[in-house]
Amino acid sequence: MNTEDLYRLLRTGHVQAQGVVDTVSDPLLVLDDSLRVQSASRSFFETFKVDRYETIGQRIYELGNGQWDIPELRRLLMDVIPKSSAVINYQIDHEFPDLGPRTMLVTARTLHHPDRGSRSMLMTIVDATDRFRESVAKDVVFGELRHRMKNLLGVAQSIARQTTTEGRSAEEYRDDFLGRFGALVEAQDMAFAEAGDLGLKAVFERILAPYTINPDAVEIAAGPAIELDSRAIMSLSLVLHELATNAVKYGALSVPEGRVRVSWRIEADNLRIAWVERGGPPVSEPETTGYGSKLIQHATTYSLGGQVEQAYAAGGFEAEIVIPLGKAFLPG
Amino acid sequence: MQKSILIVEDEFLIAMDLKYTLEGHGWSVMGPVASVEEALRLLDGELPTVALLDVNLGRELVSPVAEALKSRNVPFALASAYDRPEQVGGAILDGVPNVGKPTGERRLLSVLAQLMPS
Repeated sequence: MNTEDLYRLLRTGHVQAQGVVDTVSDPLLVLDDSLRVQSASRSFFETFKVDRYETIGQRIYELGNGQWDIPELRRLLMDVIPKSSAVINYQIDHEFPDLGPRTMLVTARTLHHPDRGSRSMLMTIVDATDRFRESVAKDVVFGELRHRMKNLLGVAQSIARQTTTEGRSAEEYRDDFLGRFGALVEAQDMAFAEAGDLGLKAVFERILAPYTINPDAVEIAAGPAIELDSRAIMSLSLVLHELATNAVKYGALSVPEGRVRVSWRIEADNLRIAWVERGGPPVSEPETTGYGSKLIQHATTYSLGGQVEQAYAAGGFEAEIVIPLGKAFLPG
Repeated sequence: MQKSILIVEDEFLIAMDLKYTLEGHGWSVMGPVASVEEALRLLDGELPTVALLDVNLGRELVSPVAEALKSRNVPFALASAYDRPEQVGGAILDGVPNVGKPTGERRLLSVLAQLMPS
């Protein structure tokens, strides 16, 4: 039963009804002309931790040692309600001696008794403190989510703008872009889907998965457990993607018998990741540095605070990435 | 004299993009740098014509850089995903133009042009 139903009931004469008052789930008061409590619902006693004897017959301002003597409520009862027959969800913020700071929503309705010529008032008081707190917390989370989303779009835009167009067909540009975009998507998924930080091995496996149709082509050698934060996951994922696509285009993965071996170790507070290609065609250093190699360079130095060395050795391409262990990379 | 710009942005891909884009339009780029400390160190060496700042640098806010730029009369703009950067970075960012994020090239260039001392 809600206030409206009760209002209708009381109008038609069922004034006796403490039982009816108790069916209202929100804390409810029935006040007489002089704002004395005629009746109160069980939920009122429970919510505001008062008992029947100290409530019934008291003026509302005197309830619970005057804790309901709230200027805003006085104004509502004296000015607002007499002028309008109903007030719905009027918000009152008040520090209650026992309950602490609370946000209350007051709904009130005056009730005329034509035969007695008197007036009473139905008033529900809903403690909306938790609901308000949740809504503020939700706003913060949504704000953060929105910021993160725009940042991510910013990253995708940057990749689109900087992926090389010169001397490329539209298809080549599209494939280069989508490859990087795919690595970004995988990295995001790993960074936010998992609870807590993710292991280095899992990142290698996930990013290199598209290149392991031949299961022997890529070997991920077991190394010490390392956990990565979200920034490290993204930077490293993009680097791995660049190394792998280069291997497919020019290196070991361009031929069926070629092999890539990825391994890592910890040495003097540094994480050292080795990427070694064997069995591919002869490689040589490219004459110009494209976006891909700049990306590898910047991800390692700018984002991870480390260094990268790339060697076009006789046996095949090799890269070593050295990153200081710290917040981004933690021994697991 | 060539116009120069300090870029403070912690996300390496966005930092690279801003650098190459602006270099393509004749700017000489200082940095980019990803932290307040590095930005302040650069400013101790030489002052750029203008600066472009991300607000949230991951583990810190860019506000001290904004303070330093203001005290040295270097005009700056923001490149932030926040709708109201001043609510995050404080009053020093009040009324500072924001090119937004993702950052459109046209918007970026026109905001920077307006920052240039006449």
